[in-house]
Amino acid sequence: MTPFRRHLRQTLTIARRDFTATVFTPIFLLFLFAPIIMLSFSLIGGLGAANATRGTAAKQRLVLLLPADDARAVMAADARQRTLPDDDRAPPRLVAHPVTGDTAAQARAMLDGHGAVGGISVAAVLHGALDRPVVSYAAGDRDEARYLAALARDAALVRRAGAPALAEPVLERVATAAPSAGGRDASAFGAVFGIFFLTLFLSGQVVGTMAEERNNKVIEVLAAAVPLESVFLGKLLGMFGVAVLFVAFWGTVVSQAGAFLPGDLGAGLRQLSPAVGAGPFALLFAAYFATAYLLLGSIFLGVGAQASTMREIQMLSLPVTIVQVAMFALASAGASDPDGWLAIGTQLFPLSSPYAMAGRAAALPGLWPHALALLWQLVWVAIFITVGARLFRRGVLQSGSAKPAWRRLFARG
Amino acid sequence: MSSHPSAVVADGLVKRFGDRRVVDGVDLVVPRGAIYGVLGPNGAGKTTTLRMLLGIIEPDEGERILLGARHPRDAGDRVGYLPEERGLYPAMKAREAIAFMGALRGLDWATGRARAAEMLEAAGLGHAVDEKIRKLSKGMAQLVQLLGSVVHRPDLIVLDEPFSGLDPVNQERLEALILAERDRGATILFSTHVMAHAQRLCDRLAVIAGGRRRFEGTVDEARGLLPPQVRYVPHHTDAALADLLPGDATRDGDSWRFQLPAEGIEGLLTRLIAAGYGIAGLAIERPGLHEAFVRIVGEAAAASGPATVTERAA
Repeated sequence: MTPFRRHLRQTLTIARRDFTATVFTPIFLLFLFAPIIMLSFSLIGGLGAANATRGTAAKQRLVLLLPADDARAVMAADARQRTLPDDDRAPPRLVAHPVTGDTAAQARAMLDGHGAVGGISVAAVLHGALDRPVVSYAAGDRDEARYLAALARDAALVRRAGAPALAEPVLERVATAAPSAGGRDASAFGAVFGIFFLTLFLSGQVVGTMAEERNNKVIEVLAAAVPLESVFLGKLLGMFGVAVLFVAFWGTVVSQAGAFLPGDLGAGLRQLSPAVGAGPFALLFAAYFATAYLLLGSIFLGVGAQASTMREIQMLSLPVTIVQVAMFALASAGASDPDGWLAIGTQLFPLSSPYAMAGRAAALPGLWPHALALLWQLVWVAIFITVGARLFRRGVLQSGSAKPAWRRLFARG
Repeated sequence: MSSHPSAVVADGLVKRFGDRRVVDGVDLVVPRGAIYGVLGPNGAGKTTTLRMLLGIIEPDEGERILLGARHPRDAGDRVGYLPEERGLYPAMKAREAIAFMGALRGLDWATGRARAAEMLEAAGLGHAVDEKIRKLSKGMAQLVQLLGSVVHRPDLIVLDEPFSGLDPVNQERLEALILAERDRGATILFSTHVMAHAQRLCDRLAVIAGGRRRFEGTVDEARGLLPPQVRYVPHHTDAALADLLPGDATRDGDSWRFQLPAEGIEGLLTRLIAAGYGIAGLAIERPGLHEAFVRIVGEAAAASGPATVTERAA
C-alpha cells in the first residue's frame, strides 16, 4: 500500500470514529434540534418586542385642538395616510378634542400629563388652525409630531385644491428577467452571512476534540499508529461530516418550508438570484462553506490541541472567534463592490476568502476565480493543519510536562 | 526492507528536553523473534527510547531501524504498541475499541471485530464483548487495550510497562499472551522495572540508567555479573564468628550472607567446624536478575553522581 493510501485510510478511520461517536449519541439530537430552541426563543423575544411596541402605541394619542372644519379635514387626511406604514409602525390613534380657550396652553397641559386619561398619554398636539398650524410634542415623540405636521400639510393642500376626486391606484407586479443590482447586493450579503453563521455555529465543535484524546490518553495510541497530520485531518473531517449532516437536515426542512411562503415573499427571494446562476452558486456556496469550515476548524483544532482544560480552550477560542467576526465584517463591507480593493483583499486573505468569494459569486459572473480561490483556501487548510500538528508534537507529545508553545511565549526566563 | 536480520536497531539515540539529555546515546539491537526487555529505574529514559523507536517523537541524534524500515511509520502496520499511559475511548464497546486499534494499523473493521470477539473470549472476557470501556475494571480495560495492540497480528510488539496495574492473575495471562505471540513469530520488546517478569520472559535485555545503556545481554549474562552468594547458618553465634567469616559477610537473623570466596568455600568451612560453629545450614545461591539490576543501576548512579540523569551544559 502506498503511503498516501495508508494515510488516507488512517485519516478516514479517525474521521469515522469521531463522526459515529458524535452522531450516535442522545446529545446529538439536542444539537440537531438546537435551531428550534433558538427559533422559539427568537419568536418569544420578537412577540415581546412587538407587544411592547403595540402597547406603547395603544397607550398614546395624537390630539387635534382645531376648529371643527379643520379637525374634520385633518381626520380625513389621517384616514388616507394611515394605510402607508405597517401595523407595527402605525402612529398612535388620532382624536379631536374641543377647544376651550388658549390652545397652546391647553396643548402644553395635555402634554404635561394633565390630559392623560386612564393611563393614556398624549404624544403630540396639533393646534391653532390649518392656515397657521402648530404641533407641540413631548420629548421622544418627534416622529409622531412629524406625522401630525404631514397630516396638516395634506389637509391644507386638499382644501386649497378644492377636494379633487382621488383615483385608487392599481398595484401591478411585473416579472423581471434579470435580477436587480439591489437584489445582487442582497444575495451577496446573504451568502457572506450564511457561511459566517453556519461556520460560527458549527466549527466551534472541533475545538474540544483533541482535548478528548488528551484526557483519555488515547493520543499516544493514535500518535504511534498514525501521523499527527492524519489525526488532525481525520478529526476535522469527522466533525465536518457532522456539520454536513446538520446542514443537510435543516436545508431539507427549510427548502420544504419555502413552498409554504406567501407569493410576494417567494418573489422577493427570487430577486436574490446570484450572478453566476442558481445551480453553480449552490455548488460554490457548498464548497465555500466546506473551506470556511475546514479553515476555521483547523485553527480551532490547533488551538484546542494546545489546551488541556475547558477553561484554556475557551480562553484560546475567543481570539479566534473575534478574528472570524472581523473577517465577516470585512467581507460584508466588500460584498457590494466585489472588485474594490477591500473586496479583493478579503478575497485573498485566507481566513476571509471563503466569505468574500461567496459574496463575489452572488455579485459577479465568471467561474475561474472560484477555482483558484478554492485551491488557495485548501492550501491554507493544509498549512494550518501542518502547523497545528507540529505545535502539538513539539509542545505536548515530546514531554508530558512540557509547556505548550503559547505558554512558552509567556514563560519567564 | 523486511529482510533486515534484526527487528529493531537503535544507534546512538539522543533526546534532549530543554537542557536535559533524557536519552544519551542508547544503542539497541533486538533480534527477530526474541522477547527483549528494556529494564531501568523510574526516569531512566525507557519510555522516551521506545517512543523514539516508534516515531512518536523524533530523536535529536542517532538512527533507528524498525523491521527494516528507516522511518518507523513505514513499518507502522506491522507494529503493535501498548503505551505506558493506557488510553481508550470510554464510550466505545470493547469489541469496537479493539477493531478501531486494528483499523488504525490497516486491519479491516469486519475482521477486527471478528478477531476481537475471539480474543476477548480466549482472554476470559467473553462477557465484556459489547460492554462499554467505562463499565470495565481498570485491569480489564488494560487487557482490552493490549488485545487491541496485537489484533492485527504485528511482527513487532512494543509494550511499555505492560504489567503495571494488573493483578497477579492478569499478569500471568499477559505473560502467556506474550509467549504465545513469540511462538506465533512476533518479536516482543517491552520495558519494565519489575525484574521477575524480565527474568522469566526475556531472551535478551538491556539495562538503561541515566539515559544510557548500562548492560546488554542475556539474563544469565546479567546474573553472571555477580559472584554466587553463600548463605551459612551456624549452630551458635558469638562475637568471634564474624572474624572467621569474609569481610563482606552480613548477618540476617540466624544466618550469614557473603560472596562465594574466589578460592572456594572448603577451607572456610573447615575453619568454622574446627572453631566449633558447625554447619546448621548451608546454601550457595546464584544471584537473581534483581541483584544484578541493583548493582548495574547502582554503579551507573555512582558514575553519574547523585542525579540519575546525565546533565550537560546547553
